[in-house]
Amino acid sequence: MANKTQIESKSIFNFEQCLKCSICTVYCPVAAVNPTYPGPKQAGPDGERYRLKSPVFFDESLKKCLNCKRCEVACPSNVNVGDIIQAARMQYSQHKPGLRDRILASTDFVGTMANRFAPIVNTTLAWGLTKSLMHGTIGVDKHRTFPAYTNQRFETWFKRNAQASQDQYSKHVSYFHGCYVNYNFPKLGQDFVKIMNAVGYGVHLLEKERCCGVAKIANGLYDQARKHANININSIKKSVQDEGRPVLTTSSTCTFTLRDEYDHLLGIDNSSVRDQVMLATRFLFQLVDQGKVKLAFKPDYKRRIAYHSACHMERMGWTVYSTELLKMVPGIDFVMLESMCCGIAGTYGFKKENYETSQQIGAPLFEQIKNAHVDCVSTDCETCKWQIEMSTGVPVENPISILADALDVEKTIALNS
Amino acid sequence: MKFDTIIIGGGLAGLTAGLALLKAGQKVALVSDGQSALHFASGSFDLLGYDAQGQAVANPVEAIAQLDATHPYSKVSDIAATAQEAQQLLAECGLKTKGDAQANHYRLTPMGALKPTWLTIDDFVTLDEPATAPWKKVLVANIMGYLDFPSKFVVAGLRQLGVEVDLKAFTTPELTRARKSPSEMRATNISKVLTHPAVVAEVARELNTLATGYDAVLVPAVAGMRDGGEATSLKEQVDTPLYYVATLPPSVPGVRTQMLLNKRFAQLGGTFLTGDQVTGGKLEGDKLMSINTAKLEDTELRARNYVLATGSFLSHGLAANYERVYEPVLGLDVDYSGERKDWSRYGVFNDQPYMHFGVATDAKLHVKKDGKVINNCYAAGAVLSGNNRVKMADGAGVDMLTALQAAKNILQK
Repeated sequence: MANKTQIESKSIFNFEQCLKCSICTVYCPVAAVNPTYPGPKQAGPDGERYRLKSPVFFDESLKKCLNCKRCEVACPSNVNVGDIIQAARMQYSQHKPGLRDRILASTDFVGTMANRFAPIVNTTLAWGLTKSLMHGTIGVDKHRTFPAYTNQRFETWFKRNAQASQDQYSKHVSYFHGCYVNYNFPKLGQDFVKIMNAVGYGVHLLEKERCCGVAKIANGLYDQARKHANININSIKKSVQDEGRPVLTTSSTCTFTLRDEYDHLLGIDNSSVRDQVMLATRFLFQLVDQGKVKLAFKPDYKRRIAYHSACHMERMGWTVYSTELLKMVPGIDFVMLESMCCGIAGTYGFKKENYETSQQIGAPLFEQIKNAHVDCVSTDCETCKWQIEMSTGVPVENPISILADALDVEKTIALNS
Repeated sequence: MKFDTIIIGGGLAGLTAGLALLKAGQKVALVSDGQSALHFASGSFDLLGYDAQGQAVANPVEAIAQLDATHPYSKVSDIAATAQEAQQLLAECGLKTKGDAQANHYRLTPMGALKPTWLTIDDFVTLDEPATAPWKKVLVANIMGYLDFPSKFVVAGLRQLGVEVDLKAFTTPELTRARKSPSEMRATNISKVLTHPAVVAEVARELNTLATGYDAVLVPAVAGMRDGGEATSLKEQVDTPLYYVATLPPSVPGVRTQMLLNKRFAQLGGTFLTGDQVTGGKLEGDKLMSINTAKLEDTELRARNYVLATGSFLSHGLAANYERVYEPVLGLDVDYSGERKDWSRYGVFNDQPYMHFGVATDAKLHVKKDGKVINNCYAAGAVLSGNNRVKMADGAGVDMLTALQAAKNILQK
């Protein structure tokens, strides 16, 4: 960042490229429903001019920003509006994270504890009484359903059932599974292993994996986020540089955090490995596009599927990889949803003070989904999945799970051996 | 990634070309680096407002025939038919307009001036002739706290026509709530408040109280950002004939146009790469083989044909440094002349030379590089050289008609 600033005579986050055109505000999901949020232009480049003069101009209402980055996608002048806002929060906010924020942010710690007592935890979390208690005491909204915890973590499953057979492949990748796959939904990880093995790739865990840190950044636990980020980057470097294995993911937000937020917000240099960290859909698409891999699908697979572009997916510009892969399945009747925020924004929607805003933001998307009459919605983000399932009743699946389901494994193995 | 045609630029020109090609059954991708200048649009579409001498044009089709050969319209084969096609394309997207390529009408600007134009969204205020208004007594009603509508200018403009005009302000509890952030009391944010039918009904009640006894009520165009639904609903609920007037940007009818075109593009199966930037292309002989983007990194985007619709300086379709004017995406040849001091002239409202700069093309709209024609890459819209869209009021027409022509040239190959 610092070098770029000097060489290209542009300041960090392209701050001074802002023309004050207000296009960012048009696409801000929060400004649309909450007039107490000053909006991206005001909170971002406009406010930054004042904050540069004196920190007294910092306004705690900046915490209402979802960090969805839709302002950055819309900006015709390439200003990193969202980064300016997040960096200001990190630099100036006096707000200290409370117990609720710490619990929501500690996806890995809470996950580890919850896995041990999964049946009890899941049942307890589903009780109305527990929900009311959490609502009243720590401020987790009572309408929310916590994603169920699994009693066998993905890592445990992998070590017991898959690890031993991975070395037989000639090509290899590492998998950054993320907290959701590990603690809540190992099936997605299993689907990923199934596809990669079918196309001739062995899958490996990283030496050490911690939560990517997105929830910690959002909840003000910056030191912890940095500590975990360093562990992750070191493991990723080992995989990429020592073992020659790219690191694949199945969560858009983890990917975005590892690739962009580490550098932009946490100041961690990931430039030597950034281009080797990517969503599995990008990796797979490229292999197919270059003719290096062939996919065969079950002839009787038939589903109508709508794709939802998660905010961080949109920011990475990688929606096309997932959608092009889904379009390759002959039995999929594909519907592209208009891109808009679902309102959950990770932990944001779980907080009782944000519940209503969160649902208002998502309302137009839910309407679209209800009118699309589909068998399922597909998206690359796990928190979008919770929000859409809770709010529409339509099941949501990661594109990797859909591909794994549609894949003719025997035929694919034969095509690629 | 393979497509029949890849379009660079997601504004009016790029989307028009994309829609025409999708309708012909092509597989189309469009790469857009941020949102387009449509967000500043007025709700009207100009074909030719003023001739080369600066005189207001009554019949654009006739006047276009008199333009010299450097104007982009010289590369459009049938102006009248293509203009018809453009209006039809907007209608297919759900944008109903009134107007005729053979007879300009007049739009009312937020500064109270009357300007000749070709098409206007059908619920906007327009006049057939500049001097005559069809009403005796008009109410201009603005929302309290909304600053991007200089209502006194609008009133003054209407009074010059001999109309009796009153100005009143109104609000509702929801609109008052939106005022909590006064600097964000923008047209598009107000539009979001107005998505609730109950708020539209309240506004209608306010207007019905205020507008009794007037021949017409004029309100700023702040309703119906997504598809115009709320704008229609409000008009229906107000007893006095209601018309919308353009506001300062960001523009609700402009965003609506963008959203409707995007939606149609997705419906027809187009692939829209949003918030991404083309970083360069691979040329072989007289052909562009592939392009790369910032976000897709090493993934090559390949197509049989390409359309460059990147806009002018504001949209980064053109750029200038101290020595030259250049096309920053593919390094194409640009029509410009003189040294930097010759690019502009004294007086901001004068006909500025830099406004005429743009990429060089042959008669088929093919672009050039180092003097050589690239046979599968076409340019359309504001990136073209040869016109001053501010002075001639021909911007939307050049965008849509050259885009349709480029699509035709691709399909006829």
